[in-house]
Amino acid sequence: MRNLDDFREEIRAHVELEADRLREQGLSLEQARAAARRSFGNVAAVEERYYESRRWVWLDLLAQNLRFGLRMLRRNPGSSLVAVLTLALGIGANTAIFSLLNGLMLRHLPVRHPEELVLFGKGEWGGSANVLPNRNWQLFSYPGYRDFQRKNKVFSDVAAIDSILFTTHGRVASAENLEKVSVELVSGTFFQTLGVNAAIGRTLTDADDVHPGAHPIAVANYAWWKRRLGKAPSVLGTPVTIGKTTYSIVGVTPPQFFGAIVGQSPDLWIPLSMEKEVSPGWNGLDQDLFQSLYLFARREPGVSIRQASANVNVIFQQMVRAYAGTEASPKVLESISHAHVELTPAATGLARFRRQLAAPLVILMSMVALVLIIACANVANLLLARSASRQREIAVRMSIGAGRPRLIQQLLIESGLLGLAGAALSAPVAWVLLRLLLSMKSAPPALRVEPDWRVLVFALAITLLTVLLFGTVPAFRATRLDLPGSLRAGRSVTGGPDRNRLARGLIVGQVALSLAVLTGAGLLLHNLINLRNVDTGFDKRNVLLTGVDPAGAGYHEDVRLENMMESVEERVDALPGIYGAAFALSVFDGGGWTDSIVVPGQPPLQQDVTHNIVGTHYLEAMSMPLILGRYLTARDDHDSQKVAVINETLARTYFPGMSPVGRTFSIGMQPDWQGLQVVGVVRDAKYMGLQEKQQPAAFYPHAQHWSIVGNFAVRLSGDPKLAIPAIRKAIADVDPNLPVADFTTLEEVVNRSLASPRLVAELSSAFGALAALLASIGIYGVMSYAIVRRTNEFGVRMALGARRGDVQWMVLRETLRLVLVGVGAGLMLALILNRLMTSILFGLGPADPLAIGAAAALMIAVAILAGWIPARRATRIDPTVALRYE
Amino acid sequence: MSTQRPERLELLQGTLDLLILRTLIFGREHGQGISRAILQTSDNELLVEHGALYPALQRLEARGWIAAEWGTSTNNRKARFYTLTKAGRKQLVQETTQWRRIATAIGRVLGPESEES
Repeated sequence: MRNLDDFREEIRAHVELEADRLREQGLSLEQARAAARRSFGNVAAVEERYYESRRWVWLDLLAQNLRFGLRMLRRNPGSSLVAVLTLALGIGANTAIFSLLNGLMLRHLPVRHPEELVLFGKGEWGGSANVLPNRNWQLFSYPGYRDFQRKNKVFSDVAAIDSILFTTHGRVASAENLEKVSVELVSGTFFQTLGVNAAIGRTLTDADDVHPGAHPIAVANYAWWKRRLGKAPSVLGTPVTIGKTTYSIVGVTPPQFFGAIVGQSPDLWIPLSMEKEVSPGWNGLDQDLFQSLYLFARREPGVSIRQASANVNVIFQQMVRAYAGTEASPKVLESISHAHVELTPAATGLARFRRQLAAPLVILMSMVALVLIIACANVANLLLARSASRQREIAVRMSIGAGRPRLIQQLLIESGLLGLAGAALSAPVAWVLLRLLLSMKSAPPALRVEPDWRVLVFALAITLLTVLLFGTVPAFRATRLDLPGSLRAGRSVTGGPDRNRLARGLIVGQVALSLAVLTGAGLLLHNLINLRNVDTGFDKRNVLLTGVDPAGAGYHEDVRLENMMESVEERVDALPGIYGAAFALSVFDGGGWTDSIVVPGQPPLQQDVTHNIVGTHYLEAMSMPLILGRYLTARDDHDSQKVAVINETLARTYFPGMSPVGRTFSIGMQPDWQGLQVVGVVRDAKYMGLQEKQQPAAFYPHAQHWSIVGNFAVRLSGDPKLAIPAIRKAIADVDPNLPVADFTTLEEVVNRSLASPRLVAELSSAFGALAALLASIGIYGVMSYAIVRRTNEFGVRMALGARRGDVQWMVLRETLRLVLVGVGAGLMLALILNRLMTSILFGLGPADPLAIGAAAALMIAVAILAGWIPARRATRIDPTVALRYE
Repeated sequence: MSTQRPERLELLQGTLDLLILRTLIFGREHGQGISRAILQTSDNELLVEHGALYPALQRLEARGWIAAEWGTSTNNRKARFYTLTKAGRKQLVQETTQWRRIATAIGRVLGPESEES
């Protein structure tokens, strides 16, 4: 690019050449020079035009505007700071919640062509389904997986992954003690289907998944390799002993790969062929109906989901009909004809809890979006007021020739600076909020929330959007003025009715949006209170819980396991201050086994029953009151009649109008679970969470069903913490190798189960408070400004005899009118938005009068307070001063 | 502008570029020379406003239609000389054709000259 000097030189040459020509025509040197200069015209103007034609001129102007903008912001440090903080809170909250949503729902797996992956079903079930498929199916058996793999014509590969993450205990290398190891059982095709290569060594192949029990190898997760082995380069061949099998590590996954299930990151991946070795109580590789696997596949290029789905469903129907056998009754055939598989895109990975976690996030996201809009309205109001007070400056600049675009650019740059400062400050806000959200109990431990391009684009986009939202209108308004009027008047013309209407409109909007947020928060708080007061059906006080891992210690489901469990229960029971000790398959909020039951002579009901396998004194330890019959006793052993204690709901549902005691039922087809005789009925309780609907439930003694269980519960008197060492010792006396986890109290478990609703309620209350605060700042600002403008009028009124109360009421009435209009609009908005919440509400409708009433009352109170302060100031006006005011 | 005498024609927008290119077809020339040449070849009808000439030269140079270098004039003054580039030549042909078509078309619309005063 040429510089300006070079250009000046050219102009000078031009003028000299012209002068030379004129001299040839006979003019004197002086005359020729003057004429040449005259004929050229305004040199400075030409130079300016040249300057403006240069490409980087806008950058110069931008730099000028930036410097000027910074100066203007510094001149009003107070209001600038309020604006920046407001924006930082708004943008930060939005970014934090969006990061979570992104990690949970949008982010693609770091694998080859993730868009080609499909999941069989929605992946929302977990555990094992042991019945013939009869609807939209989600879990599949190992033989089913092999069938799909062999027969399909649409996939380049099919892979299986156990729907359960096995948290077991093992010995790593030559370590002394057992330690916790989480294992995902996967088919040999798992890594190939995903397209994930090992960072070190190799991944699994189909050849590692052929003969049950014959492939003791494992692939280590990069995170585990780093955490547990300190990235030792000699990782290959490291032995890990789980139960009685020693697995050899053959490879490490790349660092960015967390696994295929969002939020779940195992330490080791082990071939499914080792299922029985890893989990003695949970296996059935050869059973058609042990359906516990998620299946996913990679589509061949060019195969649409619809084509793939058609092919898969043909195979699935053949498969299910073969399972039903040739002698299936017409009713069974009818039922299995409804079995089908819905293929869903799996680019974002599998996420069993995606829907459950997404609901509160979507609610919070909507709330923070509203808060951001309120914040924008506030900043817009601030800028309006500021540009009103700068009207003279702007008028002067325009009258001496500043172009309107240049001024608008200038004002927008000031807004942009506010926005940028807000965005910069929003990063720490977002970080803190994100940590807080991730501490949610229900937050998956391994969610990838570190910012990716989506989060960055999102943050930039909302910053830009906010700048446009709060900056544009004030900028256009400020530069559209009646020049002579603005120059003449000191301040009386500033603003004007137009500005006023806009400011009032902003207030109505702010109140409406704040009310919507407050109502949502009120609803969630009310919901939390309801959950806290839920009758659990058991006595949560004075109970200790811990986890045990018999499988990790090498137990199988046989008499040795049963003997160990009975000895542990006896020994702990015998300790002083202990009123009941029992193993249990599941305890409160720890998941559970659900399955349907069959009562002889009755048509099967489409309702799952929650089953639990427990120690003899479990029901007493939990204080679930007996209503009918008897509790389990030590006489219910392996050789006696198989028994069950059921709850009221099961009694009512399956044995209506009769005494259930003495009646029998069965579960599935396994011989162990036929002819179970009801011996007692206990009160209903909550089993898997406080929000669950009342479930039918039944309890069975482990003495009759030797099975691996993972929980141990103890009721005691006195300080539970003091009893822990004695209990540990009693267990170790029976088997020093049995891994025992940390102890917690049942009360803690119940409270922790509310952590997520509590956090959502607290956060939404914080957002609601923020919204109300911002709205009241807006009201305060607009009303103060209106009163300053009307000082003269108030002076006249008071001089003519108006009392202070009259003036105060006049001002307040105006505020009240705006607020009531806002509240009205807000109520309608709230009723619409609250529908989002119905899925997470417990026994509350979206139109909860308590929440709505409280929110409206709070909003009105806050608004009146914000309007009252300036109103009071209006009454302090001294008429003589006011009349002289302008 | 003050230099413009009322009896002279105002240049239509966009025609200045064409005139500059056309002038340069006879060889290299500096800004003052271009402006004189246009005035003379138009029988003193077209006076180029200097405030427009130099930005136009700048623009044509930026588009690569003309090239510039400092040199010495016939009366030994240092001046910035412009020459037509290959692309400029092509552009000239194109714009000339287009201009002729427009002129003819406008002539047709306006009708025979005799009807005008």
